Amino acid sequence: MNAWLVAAAVLLAAIVPCGIVAARGTPIERLVGLEMAGILTTTAFIALAEGFGRSVYADAAVVFTLVNFVATLSYVRMLERSV
Amino acid sequence: MTPGHWVEWILLSLGVAIQVVSVAGLLAMPNLFDRLHYLAPASGLGTLLIAGAVAAREALDHQGIEALLIAGFLLVFAPVLTHATARAARIREHGDWRVQDEERVKGP
Repeated sequence: MNAWLVAAAVLLAAIVPCGIVAARGTPIERLVGLEMAGILTTTAFIALAEGFGRSVYADAAVVFTLVNFVATLSYVRMLERSV
Repeated sequence: MTPGHWVEWILLSLGVAIQVVSVAGLLAMPNLFDRLHYLAPASGLGTLLIAGAVAAREALDHQGIEALLIAGFLLVFAPVLTHATARAARIREHGDWRVQDEERVKGP
């Protein structure tokens, strides 16, 4: 296990507290947990790509970053008035 | 270990540490607007340092460029999400995101 895989494991473990935040409070307060989890997932993908030496994970990170941005923005717009 | 390895290791450690501390802050803060502050170091500095570590290891090959692209994207667009979230919270709370009359600071 190299340093990159340890880093990825730490980042993935840090998603658990984000889940706790996303499980408490009002819908808009929960969304912040989801936003942080998205950031951590992106960096975990980058670390996994380095750790396993597979560039396809870095491609997944790029796609995930773009999709996560659009998805979160959609949630925000929806939570603004309708929910 | 070569100097390049040290640079890579230091950047990676700092990046991960910043993200973990940001998550701890997110968990510790009592309300939404305090929590939103902790998205900035994680998305900006943390991701940039980890992308820097990738670039230090790989130079500007496929993975290095992609990591820097992601860091640049998050650096620019994560604040947009933070702003949009705060704006949505204001609208849910007050019906409008602008300063309310009762919030205005009264002059002397």
